[in-house]
Amino acid sequence: MASSSLANFLSIFTPFKSPPPQPTKAPPSHLSVSTDSSSNNKSAFAPIVTSNNSSSSSSSSSCSGDLMSVVCPSLAYANTLYFRSAYNVQVIVEDNEPEEKLLGRFRREVMKAGVIQECKRRRYFENKQEEKKRKHREAAKRNRRRRGPFRNFNDDKTESVNKKRDDDNDNWEMPEDSPLN
Amino acid sequence: MAKAIPKKGSRGRIGSRKSIRKIPKGVIHIQASFNNTIVTVTDVRGRVVSWSSAGTCGFRGTRRGTPFAAQTAAANAIRAVVDQGMQRAEVMIKGPGLGRDAALRAIRRSGILLTFVRDVTPMPHNGCRPPKKRRV
Repeated sequence: MASSSLANFLSIFTPFKSPPPQPTKAPPSHLSVSTDSSSNNKSAFAPIVTSNNSSSSSSSSSCSGDLMSVVCPSLAYANTLYFRSAYNVQVIVEDNEPEEKLLGRFRREVMKAGVIQECKRRRYFENKQEEKKRKHREAAKRNRRRRGPFRNFNDDKTESVNKKRDDDNDNWEMPEDSPLN
Repeated sequence: MAKAIPKKGSRGRIGSRKSIRKIPKGVIHIQASFNNTIVTVTDVRGRVVSWSSAGTCGFRGTRRGTPFAAQTAAANAIRAVVDQGMQRAEVMIKGPGLGRDAALRAIRRSGILLTFVRDVTPMPHNGCRPPKKRRV
């Protein structure tokens, strides 16, 4: 894949800069710092599915990017120039993939990235009150899922133990070597 | 006052030249809003080859936003380029809307080889203030 993409880029781009004095091993991290939860930047190289939000590079070929930065430094980042658009989700289609499977995969990735939710939220302005309410609801939903099923069994036990520990730390009694004892 | 247009051979005939252009690989942009779906087929650089939308397919009003309309729009757009010889394509989907899945399905069914399917919905990093809430 590295060689074919190299050939592709050689035909389109002529090396426009002389090889830099020190070839860097890692591809440039044009990772934009974003506060949104939907634009998570997982740059793990999964051969089938990648979901990314990078401003100039697609890390689906991060592996070949590393290789190319060693082989031909001036063209190592040609990939980043090629895929200039930032995307939220990318799904690489294999050969002869059934239609439903592709759609299911795409939909799942989009849901994981939260694109549609985010879009709906940003359609109209929400004031601070609305935002607080929404965050509260989201937090409740997240915590409920994680801690809900376990709570019913261990609730009383942990609570009582905690209470005891709190009392112990409170220093109600005089220290043992005090003259008053 | 007449501007001196430099005479180049291709300039005068660029209209007819474009229609003959054959592109083996292209990009299909799907813009799926809540009220409509627009499907544009371009080459890899972004120059538009053909486009179609739910509105141009004859649907009007609320029916434009339906997934079936998106399906017909995609089929229309693809039909125009398949005879131009496009085999592989990337798909870029933008916007929320019901047309996303339906158009993707139609593209898949039309027999074009897909390489990537990407979602390029523009996300502000808390930029412009959106319009006020609707009180309906």
